[in-house]
Amino acid sequence: MSQVFHDIEKKILETLQKVPNQTPEQLSTNTELSIDQVRRGIEWLRLKDLAIVDESQKVTFSLGPNGFDSLKNGLPERKLINMLKDEPKTFDQIRSALSGAGFNVAIANAKKNGWIKIEKNNSESLVSIKEKPIETPEEKLLSFIGEKTISQEQISNPLAMKILLSRPNYIIETSEKTKTISLTDTALSLDTSASSSGAIDVEADVPSIFAARTHPLQDTIDEIREIFVNLGFSEILGNMTQSSFWNFDALFTPQDHPARELQDTFYLENLESKNPATSSQIKNVSSSHNKNWKYDWKLSESQKMVLRTHTTCVTIKHLAEQKPENARIFSLGRVFRNEKVSYKHLVEFNQIEGIVIGNNTTLRDLMGIQKEFYKKLGLTKIKFWPTFFPYTEPSLQTMVYNEKLGKWIELFGMGIFRPEVTKPLGIDKPVLAWGGGIERIAMLKYELDDVREFYNNNLSWLRSA
Amino acid sequence: MPVVELNINRIRKLVSGNVTRKQILDVLPFLGLDIESEEGDEIRIEYSPNRPDYSTDYGIATGLQGLLGIKKGIQKTPIRKKGNYSIKVDSTVTKIRPYVTGIIASNGKLDDVAIKQLMNMQEDLHDGIGRKRKKSSIGLHDADKISFPLTYTTVSRDHKFIPLNGSTEQTINEILTNTEVGQNYGSVIENAKNVPIIFDSDQNTISFPPIINSRLTTVTPNTKNILIEVTGIDKEAAEDMLSVVVSILQTAGFEFNELKITGNKNSTPQLKEKIMIYDPKFTSEIIGIEMSPSNMVTCLKKCRLDASVKGKKITCIIPRYRFDIFSPMDLTEEIALGYGIANIEPKLSPSTTIGQKNDVTIKTKLISQTAVGLGFLEAMNSSLTSKKVLYEMTKRDSSQIISVLDSKSQEHTILRDSLLPSLLDNLSKNIHESYPQKLFETGVVFSKGKPIDESINLAIIIAYKDTSYSEIKAIMQSLLRTNFKINSETKTSKNNELFSKGRHADIFVNEKKVGEIGEIDSNILENFRIRTSVVGFEIKLSGLIFD
Repeated sequence: MSQVFHDIEKKILETLQKVPNQTPEQLSTNTELSIDQVRRGIEWLRLKDLAIVDESQKVTFSLGPNGFDSLKNGLPERKLINMLKDEPKTFDQIRSALSGAGFNVAIANAKKNGWIKIEKNNSESLVSIKEKPIETPEEKLLSFIGEKTISQEQISNPLAMKILLSRPNYIIETSEKTKTISLTDTALSLDTSASSSGAIDVEADVPSIFAARTHPLQDTIDEIREIFVNLGFSEILGNMTQSSFWNFDALFTPQDHPARELQDTFYLENLESKNPATSSQIKNVSSSHNKNWKYDWKLSESQKMVLRTHTTCVTIKHLAEQKPENARIFSLGRVFRNEKVSYKHLVEFNQIEGIVIGNNTTLRDLMGIQKEFYKKLGLTKIKFWPTFFPYTEPSLQTMVYNEKLGKWIELFGMGIFRPEVTKPLGIDKPVLAWGGGIERIAMLKYELDDVREFYNNNLSWLRSA
Repeated sequence: MPVVELNINRIRKLVSGNVTRKQILDVLPFLGLDIESEEGDEIRIEYSPNRPDYSTDYGIATGLQGLLGIKKGIQKTPIRKKGNYSIKVDSTVTKIRPYVTGIIASNGKLDDVAIKQLMNMQEDLHDGIGRKRKKSSIGLHDADKISFPLTYTTVSRDHKFIPLNGSTEQTINEILTNTEVGQNYGSVIENAKNVPIIFDSDQNTISFPPIINSRLTTVTPNTKNILIEVTGIDKEAAEDMLSVVVSILQTAGFEFNELKITGNKNSTPQLKEKIMIYDPKFTSEIIGIEMSPSNMVTCLKKCRLDASVKGKKITCIIPRYRFDIFSPMDLTEEIALGYGIANIEPKLSPSTTIGQKNDVTIKTKLISQTAVGLGFLEAMNSSLTSKKVLYEMTKRDSSQIISVLDSKSQEHTILRDSLLPSLLDNLSKNIHESYPQKLFETGVVFSKGKPIDESINLAIIIAYKDTSYSEIKAIMQSLLRTNFKINSETKTSKNNELFSKGRHADIFVNEKKVGEIGEIDSNILENFRIRTSVVGFEIKLSGLIFD
């Protein structure tokens, strides 16, 4: 049976069969592999019971700055002896020659070695050589180490080392953990040339590539569209630019309503719709406003072009034109509000809005459709609160509990179109209507707290979302 | 939506001694009130503009009493005809602010909190029903400082009086230029030579509507009797406002005396209740719950309306301040609220229709799928963009520009007529990300027509150092062939500053131009600070793969 070896494993095996017991660094040099490759190879071989890894502590010594100085100029006590060779010297003379701490050390050691004698003469202390000094074990050790790094085993006089270590900055002691790699008996006798090759380093890092994908917000839009199609709703499309007639008047919003002001709605400069609706639609809507809101409705206001503030204008127009008997319809798309852009407000966002006309058009059915929709999105803890919308009555809003945020969040609004909206357009049956922003749901899904992220097209986010 | 700050203990006291804090917090949402924040005993409540009576704790307490079953039905407002309170309207106001209405509220007491709430309510009424004081505006005065009868007339702009919160006499013109209310609302009276004014019988200035009251009649915690006057250009709106203030002051413990109003087109307000007779079957059909008429009557009373069953119909009495109730549909909502929205069980009826996506959606999705298959990441940009990105940086023709009025955001002022500029802007904001960068977008573009045409475009852009015209052409042709089997050609086109000279073309399908393709010109790339090669194309999908 032949084993499959990676090229890295083969090189390590062959090298260790020639020279057993090598460090990873040595193996790296001998195999010409990178240290990372060697480490990985050793790990693989160890798992296959082919390599043994011995960890040991290794202590080494080399000279420190004072050690090097002494190697060149002698230890302080040797320097003193050299000074005294020709004649005895006073403390002051010695002190000026051996600067700083060197003086005390030199005198103390020379005296301890029995090399000098000190005589008091008047107020002066005179130092002279007592006996010819021989080379000390420490001096021998210093010249043995020289510029090398030696291991503990190479030291023949441990006492001398102990003395030198006690003197500051003579010796640098280093201890490091080393690994020594050796082969098991099985490995030693392996014939690597017989093993088949072709394996690759399956654990190595590779450059990142990014999946091409649809936009996360588009994915949410598609998911929501799919849910409503499954609930029996058909999609209709309509323009983002609309006459005020369909965006406001047809939805019973009086012409002096604050929502219609420039500061809330985008009006298109110098653009008007000459015939926003049929003459009977205009006549009926106008009289509904005059009668109920008690003011003078003006055609010119309804001709002004706006960027739709909701998709409801699309569904109401569809109802007015098609007058379906029984239908489930939705419209999905961008809507606009003249707002300051912030982490929670955009000037342009997506809205879905749906209606039911015909069978099963009670408030309970409306709530049931909402509940089912949220269920399909995975949101099961919901409740309904009353609210106000100008064109529906009764009006409700859905509150959805978000576990992560630990609070109730307001999602879609809903209601039944007011008769003041439907009657003038020739719709006699109740119409259920609901709708809401999609970004809000997408933010929950992608855990974003800044809605602007969806439109920044930041590649690092798109590539990782 | 307007927000009001209230103290929960005050509400508890107003509702009744026994109600708990939790009961109040639980029921508030079912009155249609959103609790915005809760800090200790102070709560911030958002209310709907159709219920201005919910702008004070008096109004909210009245609503809570109903839903909690503590007090039900209408609070009647008897108006005494005692006393000699009257206001005469001079015909000079007809052209500028023709209507005045009002009432005297007496024998009550307001503390500082109540006064502050009334002032805030007044501002919310001014902004809502009053349409920034244009349609109607209110003034509250200490009636004991006034000698009746009053006159509603006009004065010239050099007339002087000490305005509310002022210390010295100021002329009308000074008030309009020097005070904040003058600056904010002066436009309501435009350039009229003479302005509306209310004098008392001693010729003291009482009010300069719709701008400011006089200091003389300031309402304080010592005020016992209040004159409420509302002026406006819409009689109905003025009486609407009056009725809301009356309902609040009534809950606060005041009684009412009539203020006689005489003069051109004006009349003494009656604040009459509205009576609506309707068929209860309608409500059962709308809510989807079989409910007995007497049960509905109970629900209506819980919403502080009065109702009774007469034969097969319900007669409902609606107080004057509930002018948000137009028709039986509104009563149905009241019944649902009285029943309790939380008690209505959602019902899922099987659909009798089959759902269907729009053809445009389906085909656009097919294009997106191909683009993803070819390695492109989808971008989404706003339809509203800036002139800078759309035309200036790309050196495109801006003669057909479509602008919106008064945008609050500089980056959103122009409707896009092309997708490529925003994609270039996207590349420019991603120069630190790894290349190649490949983006696509499908979206609506706008052009002037009747009055505006909207069509769906597809744009694709590739950025990295080795990209080329051949690469983008191959991508373009592949996109149109896949699924749609459309063969396209590229034909040399006249110079276009977006693209490099000699390295761009028009895209033709069946002899018809459908788009443009090419290498983006280095000057344009410079404008976007993009330091690599970029190629791209844009095609109009409307008319090509769908109508």
